[in-house]
Amino acid sequence: MGTYIARRLALMPLLLLGVVTLVFVVSRTAAADPIASLVPERLLGNEEVVAAARARWGLDKSAPEQYAVYIKNLVQGDMGTSFRTKQPVGHDLAERLPATIELTVAALAIAAIVGIPAGIAAAIGRDSLVDHVVRLFSLIGSSLPVFWTGLILLYVFFVQLEVAPSPGRIDLRALPPDHITGLYTVDALLGGDFRQAGDALHHLMLPAFVLGWAVMGIIARMVRASMLDVLNQDYIRTARAKGLTGRQVVLTHALRNALIPTVTILGLSLAALLTGAVLTETIFSWPGLGSYAVESTRTLDLPAVMGVAILGGSMFVVANLVIDITYGLIDPRIRVS
Amino acid sequence: MVTRRFGYLILALFATLALALVACGDDGDGGDGDGGGTATEAAAGNKIADDQKPLVIARAMDTLNGDPHRAFCDTCQIYISAVYQTLVALDHDDNSTLIPRIATEWSASDDLKNWTFKLNPDAVFSDGTALTSADVKWSLERLANLKGSPSFFMDGVDSIDTTDEHTIVVHMAAADASFPAKMNAPYTAIINKALAEANGATGGDDAETTDAAEQWFLSASAGSGPYMMESFQEGDSLRLVRNENYWGPTPKAAIETVIIQEVADAVGQRQLLEEGAADIAMQIDPDTARGISNAGVVIQSVPSLNFVYVGFVVGTEGAVGSDIDLNQDVRQAIQAAIDYNGMIEVLLGGDGRKQATAIPNGFLGTANLPLPERDLEKARKLLASGGYPDGFEMDAPYWSTNVYGVDFNLMMQKVQADLTEINVRLNLQPLEASVIFADLSDNKVPFTAIYYAPDHPDTVQYPQYFAMIEGSRWSGRAGGNQGPIVSATQQDLYEKALLTDDLDERERLYDELGREMISDAYILPLANPNLILAYRSDLQGMHYSGCCNLELAELYRTTD
Repeated sequence: MGTYIARRLALMPLLLLGVVTLVFVVSRTAAADPIASLVPERLLGNEEVVAAARARWGLDKSAPEQYAVYIKNLVQGDMGTSFRTKQPVGHDLAERLPATIELTVAALAIAAIVGIPAGIAAAIGRDSLVDHVVRLFSLIGSSLPVFWTGLILLYVFFVQLEVAPSPGRIDLRALPPDHITGLYTVDALLGGDFRQAGDALHHLMLPAFVLGWAVMGIIARMVRASMLDVLNQDYIRTARAKGLTGRQVVLTHALRNALIPTVTILGLSLAALLTGAVLTETIFSWPGLGSYAVESTRTLDLPAVMGVAILGGSMFVVANLVIDITYGLIDPRIRVS
Repeated sequence: MVTRRFGYLILALFATLALALVACGDDGDGGDGDGGGTATEAAAGNKIADDQKPLVIARAMDTLNGDPHRAFCDTCQIYISAVYQTLVALDHDDNSTLIPRIATEWSASDDLKNWTFKLNPDAVFSDGTALTSADVKWSLERLANLKGSPSFFMDGVDSIDTTDEHTIVVHMAAADASFPAKMNAPYTAIINKALAEANGATGGDDAETTDAAEQWFLSASAGSGPYMMESFQEGDSLRLVRNENYWGPTPKAAIETVIIQEVADAVGQRQLLEEGAADIAMQIDPDTARGISNAGVVIQSVPSLNFVYVGFVVGTEGAVGSDIDLNQDVRQAIQAAIDYNGMIEVLLGGDGRKQATAIPNGFLGTANLPLPERDLEKARKLLASGGYPDGFEMDAPYWSTNVYGVDFNLMMQKVQADLTEINVRLNLQPLEASVIFADLSDNKVPFTAIYYAPDHPDTVQYPQYFAMIEGSRWSGRAGGNQGPIVSATQQDLYEKALLTDDLDERERLYDELGREMISDAYILPLANPNLILAYRSDLQGMHYSGCCNLELAELYRTTD
């Protein structure tokens, strides 16, 4: 296993180099000029200003030169400076990532905590009322567009019922907790400010539910299908014949095998949500990576786009690796050669 | 049994969510939620002189640059004018009158080439150090030498001298009666030289390559204005805190903390405003404003100095319409075919005004200019005399955006519909900024739509950008690959306006120049949209400023 992990990690730089090269080539072939993001429209006719901006941001060099400079800096840990925010891309990502991690982990926790038991319940009570409710709830969650769900729930809980807080990570008028991890709930707890931790949790709940519902639907359906498959296996029948209780059969014998495809979904969802929760982040004014990625792409902020691509690629590589390792832990029969 | 237990989980999920939200909630600043009323004017009350409750402004922030000499955006204007000061300011009640700020008085030599500014000896920066002529000289030189976006404010400046600690003299290459007005633009802010230099700023001839303070300006400020930067998190919020060392000449800010909160759209801003989570929503469009019926919210529609327009590029290639001769008759035909009244109704629900030419209503020289009217008969005749009696087809790429409450997609659809009446068929192409402006630079765009907001209170900025004179943006752009278009008449009027500080004479010259710009019809203003001010009813001092959008230090709450 150790060799396998080392080999996978060793391949990671090559994979990321491929990602960087691909994004670089695509961005340079776009029929657009990033100078329009660096210089206001009013001044694009001012040759002195445009020339100064091109020189300052390295856009006066040829594409191969730009690529070489970028790779050289990247090897030294420098992902460049964002055209848009004027901050190092590494700084931007570090500032945005905790917000997205907090939202995504909360969403996946909700999805797993509700989705897995719901899927089990639906499988055990196949064609019962519970099964129908779970399937309907799952179908709605995975079918409704996140932006629609977000807007409607925000309208209902924030505007109409006034039980949800305003969008954002904490009360708009409050100062954020002292930066320790960047996760507001955790930082507030570590700082001993329970009121602020409660406020941060309160702000987290609705966007996490909106984001988690879509994944929850998929998980519940996946667990249900897997459980149904497993529950028809001979070894389950044998377990029942041995006189084990229903709880023992389901939780000890069936669930472990049924969880394997679910782990895949959870892992890939985590990687996808970390870079792709843009609609939820926009609706709930959540300053995370998704909105950063979209805004950077829209304005042709090349260093930022590259930075997000590298981070996203890394996340998928790591997520896949973790999934593979988890397979072995759940089912010892699965061994990585 | 297991089935039943889990079954209830799903059915109870929404109820749990609602209960959890209630349980977690600490709705201390929640709004009144008192819908059903109508928008009212703010009630008068007792001013809270030292207001500890932070003021929240919901706004889709532009790409904020905290360095006044590199910034160029609407949010930047608000921020810079709150944190820094300029030599001169705008009168609160008159967007065309300059009043003292750092400078107590200013005067010009007879030939209008040398401008002397006397500085207020009481002026101090937020760290308590004195603001002197050395800071002013360094700041203005840095503005020029950085070659950043706002460096053009220093165009024409030859050199700057300090005659004593409180006097500077700016020497111009040519007469420029508009120079004091330019010194009102927030980008000409005066920076604490010592503090900025200690953090990487440079102001010398090589500032373009040696200055390294841009990132520092995103975490701190070095001004003498009523506020200071407390923190900025891109994509989230900008926090300002009152400058307790503020020297004047206006009163100290009443509200201790101001937060500009990133809220992407008008609907989100409206929700926050109605709930009381935000005190001001800055980009409410007329449609959204009409939907607000909350007694705790004030909605005002006030004239602005912004406008949206369409413009022609006569020398293009590669586009449908590149082979069309967009001569003056053709341009005037399109000018006459547009339904301006309908435009204001469709785009703004009536909350806007027509504008004669590329100089907004209210600027010197615009009072007597004829406003555009639709005349389809005239348009058809002009189109025929221009060589296209049967009309033509033309590409119309444009930036797919929404500014000042104007949806450019809707606007261009209206233009398209209007022009079909004279059989001019537009191929609308909504594009991102980086694409349309690259195409414009490459002369691939025969007809497009853009917008403009003023930089300072002098009319001269409009001919410098829109008139067919040497060096103007649209002179170069309109000619496309045929080279800049220069009108000798417009050039002459423009130069004469710079040579005189007689207001009556300048008004006459700008009026004449405006009529020339109407006649050449390269730029067709479509609407001068009103600005919607939406804010909580306990807030006072809301006012649209021509230089700064919103002057934060003038805001205060009342107890009633």
